[in-house]
Amino acid sequence: MNDFNYHEPRTLAEAAAMIHAARDGSLIAGGMSLIPALKQRRAKPSDLIDLRFIGELTGIRRQADAIVIGAMTRHADVADSKLVTDAIPTLARLVGEMADPAVRNRATIGGSIAHGDPAADYPPALVALGATIITSTRAMQADDFFTGAFATALRKGEIITAVSFPIPERAAYVKFANTSSRYAIVGVFVAKRGTDVRVAVTGAQPCVFRIREMEMALAKSFSPDALKPITIRPNGLNADIHATPEYRAHLIGVMAQRAVASAAALHRPN
Amino acid sequence: MNELDANRFHEIGRSALRKEDFRLLTGKGRFGDDFNMPGQAWTVMVRSPHPHARIVRIGTNQARAMPGVLAVFTGADCLADGLGPIPHNPVPSTQYDMKLTGPGGGAVFVDPHMLLPADKARYVGEAVAMVVAQTREQAEDAADAVRVEYEVLPWLERSEDALAGGAAAVWDEAPDNILVDTFFGDQEGTDRAFAAADHVVRMEFHIGRIMPLPLEPRAGLARYDEHTGRYTLYFSTGGPGIVRQRRQFAAALNIAPEQLRLVAYDTGGNFGAKNRPYVEHGLALWASRKLGRPIKYRATRHESMLTEYQGRDLLTRVELALRSDGRFLAMRAENIMNVGAHCVSLSPLAKGAGLITGAYDIPAARLRSRAVFTNTTPNNVMRSSGRPEVTFAIERLIDTAATELGFDRIELRRKNLIRPDQMPYTNAVGSIYDSGTYEANMALCMRIADWEGFESRRRQAAARGKLLGLGLANYVESSTGSPKERAEITVTPQGRVEVVIGTQPSGQGHETSFAQVVADLLAVPLDSVDIIMGDTDIVKEGGGSHSGRSMRHAATVILMAADDLITKGKTIAAAILATTPDAVEFQDGRFGAQQVNRTFDFLELAKEAAARAPAYPPANALAVVKDNEMHTSVYPNGCGVCEVEIDPDTGRVHLTRYAAVDDVGRCINPMTVDGQTHGSIAHGVGEALCEQICLDRESGSPLTESFMEYGMPSSTTMPFFTTEIVEVLSPTNPLGIKSGSEGATAGAPAVVISGIIDALKEFGLRDIAMPATPLAVWQAIETAKAKLRSNERPAPAAKTVAVEAVGKGE
Amino acid sequence: MARVTITVNGKPETTDIKPRTLLVEFLRDHLGLTGTHVGCDTTQCGCCIVLVDGRSVNSCTMLAVQANGASVTTIEGLAEGDKLHPMQAAFREHHALQCGFCTPGMVMSALELVQRNNSPSDGDIRYWLLGNMCRCTGYHNIIKAIKAGAEAMARAR
Repeated sequence: MNDFNYHEPRTLAEAAAMIHAARDGSLIAGGMSLIPALKQRRAKPSDLIDLRFIGELTGIRRQADAIVIGAMTRHADVADSKLVTDAIPTLARLVGEMADPAVRNRATIGGSIAHGDPAADYPPALVALGATIITSTRAMQADDFFTGAFATALRKGEIITAVSFPIPERAAYVKFANTSSRYAIVGVFVAKRGTDVRVAVTGAQPCVFRIREMEMALAKSFSPDALKPITIRPNGLNADIHATPEYRAHLIGVMAQRAVASAAALHRPN
Repeated sequence: MNELDANRFHEIGRSALRKEDFRLLTGKGRFGDDFNMPGQAWTVMVRSPHPHARIVRIGTNQARAMPGVLAVFTGADCLADGLGPIPHNPVPSTQYDMKLTGPGGGAVFVDPHMLLPADKARYVGEAVAMVVAQTREQAEDAADAVRVEYEVLPWLERSEDALAGGAAAVWDEAPDNILVDTFFGDQEGTDRAFAAADHVVRMEFHIGRIMPLPLEPRAGLARYDEHTGRYTLYFSTGGPGIVRQRRQFAAALNIAPEQLRLVAYDTGGNFGAKNRPYVEHGLALWASRKLGRPIKYRATRHESMLTEYQGRDLLTRVELALRSDGRFLAMRAENIMNVGAHCVSLSPLAKGAGLITGAYDIPAARLRSRAVFTNTTPNNVMRSSGRPEVTFAIERLIDTAATELGFDRIELRRKNLIRPDQMPYTNAVGSIYDSGTYEANMALCMRIADWEGFESRRRQAAARGKLLGLGLANYVESSTGSPKERAEITVTPQGRVEVVIGTQPSGQGHETSFAQVVADLLAVPLDSVDIIMGDTDIVKEGGGSHSGRSMRHAATVILMAADDLITKGKTIAAAILATTPDAVEFQDGRFGAQQVNRTFDFLELAKEAAARAPAYPPANALAVVKDNEMHTSVYPNGCGVCEVEIDPDTGRVHLTRYAAVDDVGRCINPMTVDGQTHGSIAHGVGEALCEQICLDRESGSPLTESFMEYGMPSSTTMPFFTTEIVEVLSPTNPLGIKSGSEGATAGAPAVVISGIIDALKEFGLRDIAMPATPLAVWQAIETAKAKLRSNERPAPAAKTVAVEAVGKGE
Repeated sequence: MARVTITVNGKPETTDIKPRTLLVEFLRDHLGLTGTHVGCDTTQCGCCIVLVDGRSVNSCTMLAVQANGASVTTIEGLAEGDKLHPMQAAFREHHALQCGFCTPGMVMSALELVQRNNSPSDGDIRYWLLGNMCRCTGYHNIIKAIKAGAEAMARAR
């Protein structure tokens, strides 16, 4: 890995100033994506700005009908959080199944979503739950945040501070994982809030996406059977050694039906 | 030789806890990357991005000028310094090895594996230059700055393509890329049997390329001492071990073996990957002399996935001729091994050749064994080298014969398994199986697997929407290995029994199990025995650890050495007791004589002799060196039974149960043998379910270049194993030892695939290629379903809404 | 250069290092504690796992500067002289190691599991070890060892 200057800002303002002052600076949160990139010499920043001392980036709190998670909150802490487990158990479970324990002790929600991996688990959760991403300069809807493979709407110097998750009535996430990487070959997150139903898919395209036809069908009847007449075309779906587009198209249907069955079967909301 | 009285064994057969554990559990192991010296420099390789390309020019000026760079060397520099190729000696040549020949019966062309090639790069990742710098980072930066001009050539990936002809030659000396073409068995007898057969079943398998992938990537520290003119390599290794590898490195460096010392203590797994020399260690040794600095090399995991010697990759076409009552009459096989860009070992092809008929009494067989070059990473031995492939072929053939001809697969096996009264059994290609109770193993395995309870479990799984399958396979495998071994045993006055041996463990527990043998033969405490390995300044002779040879060779030569030591002990005791040697007896572990009150055990004798030196024999007289040479192979054997649960909607296979029975001959330490069986099963399960090397068809670059894509078995891949050790003593060596470290691997792929085919019975699947990933299983189900549907009347079209799932906001 | 103070196995170590120094490099190269191993470059194999402030962490994917002020426990810090920690002893008693390369990471990872759940089930253990690869044992004896180690640690309390 190359040499870089290392900074430990104490406030958001300091961090933003450091990013702008650096020739080619990177923020570092958990480092679970950045450090491997540095080791493989894919990234060669001049400066690393560590966010771990900035108090306003930490903490999980309930705010009216939403759970707000600070950007530097580690996956392990989200999974262990009673607030999250009580309000949105599907989210706690999803985060608790990401990667493995040692990675979960370091990786953060802010770092994860800023990285924008097309097969990651947080993106479909944010999109299906209609989350709001709060940054140092604005607030964005999840629908607008993820823009492509490893691409987000974040501007240079803009720092995610928190993510606000509206609490759903019902939710479930079913992931068909690549057992080598633990990432999703296909993952489907289904969430219902009143008449609003969202279905978000990860792993199948260069970016997380929603399936409107499924959402409309489920809004009429929230049951797996409602999805049976819908088949997904393979066009535009990812192809790799683990799955063809046809297989992904098939898995989307299977995982969506299983997610709805799981969400519908719950005795209490979400 | 003293009579072996098994009733007197206290250590042999006991699950002794391991001596090596304390240091490994407290972080005191010494693995290849753990050696450091002041002033050491680092080397990094420049690797070819092309699978086949002529090296036109290498520009090193820019790299040389970079900070910290000490040197940049190329293949031309190696030639100028008189360096030679690594003599892999890939053609197995012990007495009972199947004798492979070149096409037409001549010698096999073995390519010159230069440390750095000057002419061409022949696989993606082949090192074409080396950079040495003060730090690893500096070496990596400089490696990026080395400018190699290539002339890209057409490249060859698969055996099928090599055989099709017309492909560019990987080596000019083998213009059609075929280096081995040998026939075995009885052509006429086989043809007659096939002509007279009632049934013939044919199958073809391409058993793919996988990797041994020990968790420790290769690493080492090379040092040249200008005062003594000697080189030392501190690293980790296995296989034929340091004695042979010293000769190989010395030959490549064009020095006498005595000028080179190899030191290897703890090895983080081997499974064949470290059996053969790597160019990087040779280059580091050479550069350490040229630059007067110790040189460290460490492979990243990425480099290891690119360039560590690989395994399997056999194309096999097999046919079985049967009589109407199910009796096997004859077998034909065509086996083609893809050796890759360098011929590093032909052992998989040779070993497999000897075992094509498996555990069955097949009177006639005809085999054609071939090996081809391709532009891929060199292929080598890998745990149970060659045996899983041929076991897979015969077991799958038998399952298919059973299904297609209406036999019960167990009955068909019972009818044809070699019987104990046929032992020693010479199979149709000349291998002499020494001993074994094959049908009893199968029955035992079925019992411990609760074969009878399967149907009820199957119904329960079906109620959950899952398909449960039951798999079974028998295996017989061979353990040969380097024929020579030496033991040096010294009983010291300080109360230690030091045993120098030339094997090279990588986790098998030799420091404990060999000590158990010594402890019983000399009647000394287990704790007093030190097994010393891994340093060519101490180990002068020995064959290493491969082909399951270690315990058999080591225990035999230790037994012989122990006998000599007892004889010597009698001489020394006689002098001390003032009597004659033939009046001294070694009874219950003690030297004594009639009418004399004093007795000594070995430790006391050594101490007493030292106390009386120099009047009596010298202090270290209680020492022997013994050499032994054994060529006869032994044939471990066994059976595996598994259950797999398949989710038909996704194709995901979950291995729910695995039972194994393994005849290892005399078992020295059941705990470590069970551990070997567990790991052995895991290797075979990985091959069956998740491991594969994939190359990009255009560029030749691996698509499986990290653990993100390569399917390593994880903690949730496998269930707990149910294992039983069977001890049918081999008549080929005094302790009756066979081997226990590779057998289960030989059977496991066939066991697992057999289970999957059984689970998917309703779809009428004949075969499924390994690895049976969810994609592969789903595709197999879909194809079978389509075939079944096309045989039925078309159903009314379902009302579906096709959805183009494109982007968000649509 | 950055000055860091990291308490390693109870002993504060203060050094000047380049910020790009990984925690595993700090431990292996600067302190000579070679018990922590490097087995991959994608943060998956777990051979490098140590405890940082009681939490298991892949030391190959953490900068030493990120551990400034923290307390790190490595495999070398568990035994007391000749006396193995109950988890280490359990690994030995159950033959949960063969080549020993993955073992330090396995033991350290198991310690956090037991801290969170003092009587883990087999399933809990298998799930917890998804970040620890082993090529030798097939995991069977490792699961048994961790279960026994957890029981021994509970008895010792």
